[in-house]
Amino acid sequence: MPKPRRNDAVSPVIATPPPPALLMTPAERRRWLLSTWRYAVPALASMMLLVLMLAPLPLSVPAMPHLALMGVLVWAMLQPALMPPWLAFCIGALADLLFGVPLGVNATLFAIATGVMRLSGRLFGRHGSGFDWLLVAAVLFGFLLLTGPLMALAGRPTPVLPLLWQWLTSVMAWPLVARGCAAVQRRLAATAPLWRHG
Amino acid sequence: MDWTPAPRRPTAIRREQNLALVSAVISGGVIAAGLILLLVARVNPETADGVRAAATDIVAPVWSVVRAPIDGAAKLGGEFSDYFGAVSRAEQLEAELDKANARLRAARTGQRELQQLKRLMAVREPTRTVVATTRIAAATAGSVARTAMLAVGGGDGITRDMPVIGAEGLVGRTLEVGRFSARVLLITDPLSRVPVIVERTGQAGLATGRNLPTLLLADRIGPDVPLVVGDRIVTSGDGGVYPPGVPVGVVVDPRSDGPIIRPAASPLGGGFVTVEKAWLPIPDTSPKGPVFDAPVPVEARTRGAPPPRLRDAEAPAQ
Repeated sequence: MPKPRRNDAVSPVIATPPPPALLMTPAERRRWLLSTWRYAVPALASMMLLVLMLAPLPLSVPAMPHLALMGVLVWAMLQPALMPPWLAFCIGALADLLFGVPLGVNATLFAIATGVMRLSGRLFGRHGSGFDWLLVAAVLFGFLLLTGPLMALAGRPTPVLPLLWQWLTSVMAWPLVARGCAAVQRRLAATAPLWRHG
Repeated sequence: MDWTPAPRRPTAIRREQNLALVSAVISGGVIAAGLILLLVARVNPETADGVRAAATDIVAPVWSVVRAPIDGAAKLGGEFSDYFGAVSRAEQLEAELDKANARLRAARTGQRELQQLKRLMAVREPTRTVVATTRIAAATAGSVARTAMLAVGGGDGITRDMPVIGAEGLVGRTLEVGRFSARVLLITDPLSRVPVIVERTGQAGLATGRNLPTLLLADRIGPDVPLVVGDRIVTSGDGGVYPPGVPVGVVVDPRSDGPIIRPAASPLGGGFVTVEKAWLPIPDTSPKGPVFDAPVPVEARTRGAPPPRLRDAEAPAQ
């Protein structure tokens, strides 16, 4: 069997759809099973960013950029099919558990943010990275504004103005996170397995 | 040129429309589920405590391992800078030592008198017991909740509502405890209320967090003496969690409507923290079983029912 050719053409897929199971050769089936982890890369990358957010930095205001939300946003932009709102909801629920806020605050907001990114992708289509930056800044500001009412809904009203620090650092950190995730995507797309479809 | 793309097959278009509808319905359902979770958290804040503890049990040990080499590097850097500033630092320390010795001599007499008086009055005081000493493993520096995680948990004798004290002052109290990890509610969190007194005036109050570097001194009672900048705020021991006399901070803005306190210990500084037993744990007064007006049948008692607790035998509700 020939080794899978590296598809050097710019391919937006990090895991190509497999051929029908009936048509797979045993070798292809093995290769397919071994490559399923690629579907989980967006979720895993976002979770790693979430754990990174828990670094014990001596910050006296919540100034750590919201890496987890930014990871979810950038993957919703790069791979909308692999970051659906329900997956964003799960990552948000994990964030709630780890941050010690009522379960549902980040979960709801992550799902809404993913939905907004999907809608904007459909509305505006292809656009430059400067536009992305503005869009993400707006989404992050919406997150900041909605956190207060949702915390109040969960029975823990909180002053959210200190979160403006987080908004500032997040907007500044966006290009870094976006480039990091794009690099992961490029590397994965370059090594995505090819199928001969029978 | 009047050119239009070839029309697509209607089945493909319909399939796409159906898929879009399904995904929209799922997204709406997910958001609705989130809102329902929030309402559940409002009614019963302890809903997800078990899952929460499991999640921190995984993350806190990871961070305690990850931060070890960073701490080591920071310590090395600190040792280098200590070496270069050693002479001037030694002179400064000698001067401070002289002053401190003079104050200590005066304090010794006072302490002896205090001991004698306490013996005369048969004062019984609970003692402070250190349960664990550790570093802060992880923190939520990017969230509205200001909490930290310790890589010690129920296995090390940590329980809920234990004070966490740093070298310079109060850090917070334990909130949720897992097997290998504990979550600490920092004093800067908006949920945190620390019963304090102003050392100079004896006024009692609550140091409340507000998600900012400083705390607010709220609900001040006692003599109406205006505060001054630099007044030391220490815990009062009320409430039973925090032991009395632990430094909380100093007043930096003595406004009459709400003095501002700067915390003594930076909650997330790199130092070690100790977890102590609760100063005076509030006794568990919740009834253990239902209160019966009639005695429990013997058959039920042999199957593990609680012993009969007659309503007139209960202490009257306060």
